[in-house]
Amino acid sequence: MHLGLDDDELTSCVACGLCLPHCPTFVITGRDTESPRGRIALMRAVQDEGAPVTGEVLRSMETCVQCLGCETACPSGVPFGHLMEGTRAALAAEGHITPRWQRLGLRLLRHRRLLLAGSTLLALAGRLRLLPMRRLGLPARLPLRRGRHRASGSDVWLFTGCVMDAWQRHTHLAVQRVLEAAGVGVTPTAGAAPCCGALHAHAGLAPDAAAMARQVMAALSGDDRPVLVDSAGCGAAMKHYGRLLGTAEARDFSARVFDVHEWLADRLDALLDSRPAAPLELTVAVQDPCHLRHAQRSHEAVPVVLGPFVRELVTLDDDGLCCGAGGAYSMLEPELATAIRSRKTAAVERSGASVVASANPGCSLHLAAAGLDVRHPLELVAQALDSGGDG
Amino acid sequence: MTSASDIDAVLAGFAADVGPEGPVSVCGGGTRRHVGGEVAPVTRELRAPAGIVAFEPAEMTVRVRAGTTVAELHEALAASGQRTALPERPGGTVGGALMVGESAIARLGLGPVRDALLQARYVCADGRVATGGAGTVKNVSGFDLCRLLVGSLGTLGLLGEALLRTVPIPESEAWFRLEAADPRQVWQRCRTANSILWDGSATWVLLSGYAPDTADDRAILGRLGDVADAGGPPALPPHRWSCTPAEAAAFAGGNGAAPNGASAGIDFVAEIGVGVVHASEPQPPRPAAPGVAELNRRMKETFDPTGRLNPGRDPLRRS
Amino acid sequence: MSPLLAAAARRLGRRSPRPEPAGEPDAALVAELRAAIGAERVRADAAARYLASRDASIYSEGTAGPLCFPVTTTQVSACVRIAADHGRAVVPRGAGTGLSGGAAPLGRPVVLSLTRMNELLSVDLDNGVAWVQPGMVNLELSRRLAPYGMHYAPDPSSQQACTIGGNVATNSGGPHCLAYGVTSAHVVALEVVLSDASVVTLGDLTAEPAGYDLRGAFVGSEGMCGITTAAAVRLTRNPAAVRTMLMAYDDVSTGAATVSAIIAGGIVPAALEMLDRRCISAVEDFAKAGYPRDAAAVLLVEVDGPAGGVAASADRVAEIARANGAVSVRVAADDDERARLWKGRKSAFGAVANILPDYYLHDTVVPRSRLVEVLEQVYEIADRYELTALNVFHAGDGNLHPILAFDARVPGTMERVHAAGREIIEASLAVGGALSGEHGIGVEKRDYMERMFSEADLDQQSRLRAAFDPHCRLNPGKVLPSAHSCADIGALRAADGKLWG
Repeated sequence: MHLGLDDDELTSCVACGLCLPHCPTFVITGRDTESPRGRIALMRAVQDEGAPVTGEVLRSMETCVQCLGCETACPSGVPFGHLMEGTRAALAAEGHITPRWQRLGLRLLRHRRLLLAGSTLLALAGRLRLLPMRRLGLPARLPLRRGRHRASGSDVWLFTGCVMDAWQRHTHLAVQRVLEAAGVGVTPTAGAAPCCGALHAHAGLAPDAAAMARQVMAALSGDDRPVLVDSAGCGAAMKHYGRLLGTAEARDFSARVFDVHEWLADRLDALLDSRPAAPLELTVAVQDPCHLRHAQRSHEAVPVVLGPFVRELVTLDDDGLCCGAGGAYSMLEPELATAIRSRKTAAVERSGASVVASANPGCSLHLAAAGLDVRHPLELVAQALDSGGDG
Repeated sequence: MTSASDIDAVLAGFAADVGPEGPVSVCGGGTRRHVGGEVAPVTRELRAPAGIVAFEPAEMTVRVRAGTTVAELHEALAASGQRTALPERPGGTVGGALMVGESAIARLGLGPVRDALLQARYVCADGRVATGGAGTVKNVSGFDLCRLLVGSLGTLGLLGEALLRTVPIPESEAWFRLEAADPRQVWQRCRTANSILWDGSATWVLLSGYAPDTADDRAILGRLGDVADAGGPPALPPHRWSCTPAEAAAFAGGNGAAPNGASAGIDFVAEIGVGVVHASEPQPPRPAAPGVAELNRRMKETFDPTGRLNPGRDPLRRS
Repeated sequence: MSPLLAAAARRLGRRSPRPEPAGEPDAALVAELRAAIGAERVRADAAARYLASRDASIYSEGTAGPLCFPVTTTQVSACVRIAADHGRAVVPRGAGTGLSGGAAPLGRPVVLSLTRMNELLSVDLDNGVAWVQPGMVNLELSRRLAPYGMHYAPDPSSQQACTIGGNVATNSGGPHCLAYGVTSAHVVALEVVLSDASVVTLGDLTAEPAGYDLRGAFVGSEGMCGITTAAAVRLTRNPAAVRTMLMAYDDVSTGAATVSAIIAGGIVPAALEMLDRRCISAVEDFAKAGYPRDAAAVLLVEVDGPAGGVAASADRVAEIARANGAVSVRVAADDDERARLWKGRKSAFGAVANILPDYYLHDTVVPRSRLVEVLEQVYEIADRYELTALNVFHAGDGNLHPILAFDARVPGTMERVHAAGREIIEASLAVGGALSGEHGIGVEKRDYMERMFSEADLDQQSRLRAAFDPHCRLNPGKVLPSAHSCADIGALRAADGKLWG
C-alpha cells in the first residue's frame, strides 16, 4: 500500500545504522525490526516494493516509542518522526492500528469535564480497590481533589492540557507559583484549550490531531502572549503545529510556544532575586524527556533553571536514552516500556540521586510507577522558594 | 597484483632453490633453531636471500629480504632515525625473527613482532611464490596471512621478503635499575617504560620517549625505590616462558608446588606487563586444548600437505 | 585427508538436507532452532528476514533464512549444528553497519544476530584485558572502561553503533589506529564457534601462545572462519595529554604534503585525518564543527601521550604545517572544542546525504607518498562520470575514503557509479595500493581480489579459510572470487525469491 510518505524523506536514510544505539526498542531487543533503520526499510518495502502489511510490519511500527532519539543521532537528518507519524496515519486510516477503544479513549481527552469527572471516578475506584490500577498501567494513587486554577495576570498563557490537568494539577500550580515569583502574571488555559492533540498524532489519528490544534490555536489567538508549556510532550506537539497544519497562522502560533524552562532560562535573574538563602538539600538527577531533548532540543534549559535551587544536580550517564513512557506507550506496550525503564532506573541508581526531575508528565508517572521519587523541576523550585531557605 | 615485476630475480631464484618437492628447511642465524623441535635429518637446508630492497622513511616501511640480519637492517634504518619491533640477536635474521615470532625485550613499548609484518612474499609448499598482505601500512584485503606466518617456524611457507613497519627512535632512551620496588607500580605509573624487567628483587626499566617525559618517569622511579643508572638489561637466563602478565608479575619458584611448575631456586627475569619470563629451566609443557591442537594440525596439513617445509618443527612444541 | 576431516566429511555426507513440508519453507529447521534456543529467539517472518537480508551496504543478493538471536555460546553452537544438519550455511551478524556486504547473506542461510550477547564479562587489570561478548558496542565498551582510566583503542567511524564481534570480523580500523594499530593488535584471545559447532579459544593471555597465531588468522576473516562468542581485548590507558589541531589549506596537495612531512619528521600522531572542501561544507551544515568553509582542505591532527611529548610534537606538527603552506592552524582549547572538531569528522559520511540522497563510500589504501596523485585522479574520474566526489580519509595511513554522491533515481546513475568506483580501485592498485583499508572485501570487492592478488596468493588465502571451515558453511560466497572457493558455490542454495508471503 502507499503510505503517503514523501519519497525524498524516505530515501534520505542511507541505512548507516548510527541510530541503533539511540533507539530504546533496539537497545532492549537487539532486533532490526525494532530499530529506526529497520522501520524505515519496512516503510520502503511497503510503499515501494509492494510488501504486504503483515502483523510483524505492524508490530515494528507500533513498538516505536516515537522518542525521536534517532533523529538527533542521524547524520543525514532523516525526519523519522514525520515518517512515523505519516506511516501511522496511513495504517490507522486503513484500520490496521489504533483500535476503536483506543480512538474512543483518545477522543475523550477533548472533553474536559468528562475527563476530569472520569479521572475522579477512577481515583475513587482505585482507593476502594475496585480496579487493579497498576495492572491497568495507571498511577496507583490518582488525586481525588485538585487545586483551583486562577489567573494572576496576563503576561503569559500557561497551557494546562488534558490528562496532566486531571492527574497532576499540582504541577501546574507549582509552575505558576514559580512564574509569579519571577514577577510574571499567568493565565492558565484550563478549559479554553482542552488538549494539544499530541497523543492523537502519535496514534496516527491525524485529522483529530489537526482538529485539536485548531481548537487550541483558536482559544489562544486573541493576543500574541507567549504560550508556556510545562509538559515536554505538549510543548513539542504545539511547536509542531506549523508543520502539522502547514498554515502561516499555525507557524506563527508555534513560534509563540515555549517550554517553560526555556522561557525562564532567559529570565533567570528575576527568579534568582527571590531565591532563598539555601538550596534544597537534595541530590537531583535531571531526566531529559525525549520531547524536550530530541523534539524541542531545549533540554539544556532545565539544569540552568533548577541548578541554583538544589544542592547538587547530577547528569545521567545513559546518553539521554528514552525512559519508555512515550505518551500512551507505557500503557499500550507495557512489557517493552518496563524493560526500557529499567535501564533508566539503573542509571538513576548509578547517579546516586535521591530525586529525579522530569519535565514531562508521562515520563514522571512512568518513572514514579517504578518507585522513584519524581518531581517536575519547577515543583522543586517552588518547594525551594516556599521553604525560604530552611532546606 | 603480484606481477613478475613484484617478484624480483632474487626471489624467483630462491623459489627455484626451494623447488616443488622434497623436505626443505631455511636456516637464518641459527639463534633459535631448537624452538619447536629440531629439523628432521635428510632435509635440504637453504638460506634465504639477503639485502634491503627499499626503505622509505616517509612511509615508515622497509622492504627487506628474509636473510638480512636484524642488526644490519637496524643500522640502515637508524640513519633515518627509525627501527623495527624485531629483536636483535647476534647473527639473527629478519626471516628468523619473524618465523620464530619472539618479541624484543622492549615489547612493552614496541609491541609484538606479529604486528610489524605488513606484507610477506614467501615460497609455498608447491614451490610458487605467494604474497600475503599489502604494500601499505593498512590493509584488510582478504585473509590475514601475515599474522598466520609470524611464529609459524617456516612450516607453512618459506619467507623470502618482508615489508615491515618501522617506528621512530625516541630522542631519549636509558636503562635504570631499581631496588626494593614493586614492578607493577612501574608498569602502572611510568608511561614511557618500554621494558620492565624483574628478577624477584631488583627491577630494570627502559625509559624511552621525549626527554621531558622520560625525566618525569625517572622522578617517579625515584619515588618508587632506590634508583640507579644501568648500562642495559640484566643477563637473561636461557629459557623462555610464556606467562600471562599477572603470572609474570607474581613469578616465584616453589618445591614443585608452585602453580607455574617452577623449581625452588629458579633464576628468572620476568617481563612485567608482557608476560615473557626468562628462566634457568625450561617451562613445563602446556598441552594445547584438543580443538586448538586439531586446528593447528589442519592448518599445517592444508598449507603443506606433504609436510616438506621445515619438517620436525612444530609451533605447538615451542618452549 | 586427515582422519578427523574424513570423519567430518562422512558425517556431513550422511546428513542429506531434510525435505521440507510443502508450503512451509524451513518449518522443520525453524522448529528445531526454536526447540534449541527458545521460540522467542527465532524469527522466521518476512519482515525480520527482509531486514536481515541487508547491512549498511547496497548489497542484498540473497535472502535471510531463519533469524536467530542466541544469548549464549552454547546456543550459538546449537544453531550452527542444526544449520549443518539441514545442510544450510550460517551468516553471523552484528549491528549491520558494514559497507561491503559482509553481513548480507547469499543464498538462504540461517542468520545469527549476536546483538543480544552484549555483556562486558570481566575487566582484568592485572593482565590488561577485558573479556566482552561479540554484541558489545564499540563505544559502549570504552564508556564502560572509563572508570578504570582505560579505553578500547580502535575507533571506526561507526563506533557508536558497531559491535566488537563485527570489528573482529572486519579487523576494523578508525582514525586512532594510525598510532595504536587496528583491531588485530587489540584482540588478545577469542572464543569462537567453528563450522562443526565446536567451541575453541584462539590465543590466550600469555605473551607467546604456542602454535600458529590462529587468533591473528581469524581476525578479519569476515565471518568465514568461525563465529566470535567472546573476545579478550587489550585495555589501552587513556593518554595523559591530548592535543587536537585543525589546519586549513588552500589546496589538497599542500595538505597531503604536510602528511608526508609529519611522518618523515619522526612523528606518529594518534590520528591524522583529511577532509576536502565539499566534505567540509557538508559537515558544517550538519555538525557545526567550526571548520573553515573557505578552505580547500583541512587536516585534523591529534597527538597524545605523556604531556612533554605532546607539547613538543604538537609544536613540531604546527611548524611543519606552516612550512608546508597551512593558511591557519587552530588548536582545540578544551575538551568541548576537541569533541566538536571530532564530531565533524565522525559525522562526515552521514552528512553527505544532505547533498544528494545516495552515496557510495569507497575504501582503498595507497602509499602515503602517492596520496595527492591518486586524489587528483579520483576527482578526474568523478568528473568524467558526472558524479560528485567528496574526500574524507585517514591521511596518516594512506587510507582513502572517496565518497561518490548521487541520486540513484536518475536512470543510468548506478552504472556510472560502479564504473567510476572500478576506476578508483584501479588507480589505487596501480600505485601499489590495497583494495580495502578497513571495510573489508565482502561481496563488494570480491571480484576485484584477482586484480590485487595472484592465483597463488588467492590459493593461500583459500587454504587459510579451508583449515577453519573445510565445508564452506560460514558466510559462504564472500571475499574469495568464485574460482577460488568452489566449495562456497555448493553451500549457496538458491534464494527463495518470494520473501513476502
